[in-house]
Amino acid sequence: MALFDRSLMGQTIGPVSVILERGPMLFFAETIGETNPVHLDPAAAHAAGHPDILALPTYAVVIASLADKSLARQGRCDSLKRLGADMRYLLHGGESYTYHAPIFAGETVEVTTEFAGVSNAGGGTLEIARIYQHIVHTDRGPLVTTKRDLIHKLPK
Amino acid sequence: MTHPTPQLANIGDTLPPLTFGPISRQTLALYAGASGDHNPIHIDTDFATAAGLDDVITHGMLAMSQLGRLVSDWVGSENIATLSTRFTAIIPVGASLTCTACVIECFEQDATSYLRLRLAAHINDGTQALKGDATVRVP
Repeated sequence: MALFDRSLMGQTIGPVSVILERGPMLFFAETIGETNPVHLDPAAAHAAGHPDILALPTYAVVIASLADKSLARQGRCDSLKRLGADMRYLLHGGESYTYHAPIFAGETVEVTTEFAGVSNAGGGTLEIARIYQHIVHTDRGPLVTTKRDLIHKLPK
Repeated sequence: MTHPTPQLANIGDTLPPLTFGPISRQTLALYAGASGDHNPIHIDTDFATAAGLDDVITHGMLAMSQLGRLVSDWVGSENIATLSTRFTAIIPVGASLTCTACVIECFEQDATSYLRLRLAAHINDGTQALKGDATVRVP
């Protein structure tokens, strides 16, 4: 059984523009229990030499989701739908970030999604899709590169 | 146990551990909204049971966010070069997490000092749910 769309491999989506609003960034920081004021308080971020509050290390996954929602609003297929992800069987296998530069509230970034490949494991019971995402600022250059493994635990 | 600053850290040293939870349904609902991950497996019990699970499960990325905090609270998020994790077990709703980190390597590159950290998140029943690593610049 195969659910991920293997014809997608080697293809990319984007770049998709995403505006990083301060309010949603604060909501995320509060939800995960962050207490460091550089992630919560613009005045504290300014005092530390930053233009606005700093994104937390895993905010890249939120930016990916914002890019998907932007595609959906334009009537285009988002990356999970394109991939053929079935939420009943979908698990997250791994997530890796390489940080090139900090991300600040108020910025606009470009997100490109690259479908790298699908492999099988567990004697055919698991299907693993590898995705790379590149988050880039038009002037400042690359900000974060993400490597994500999504797994289908296939029904018997 | 004392935990050194990044400047004084050596191989074998640990970071101050971080605990999170118990992870309630409300936490999962808020995280779904805050992260944009609306996968019903995390917030809709009817969907989760129809998919063959006993109940909703925690977003893996909510747990990874705690490993991120553990590292960024110690060294500053702008000094994290890499952060990586594998999700090795499902985290049930109601679980508490303990996140830990240990220095496993010190190295220099381009006149900058780096530390490599081994990261782990364990559920309160002892199961390891996340297995990760991070590379940080010593500020």
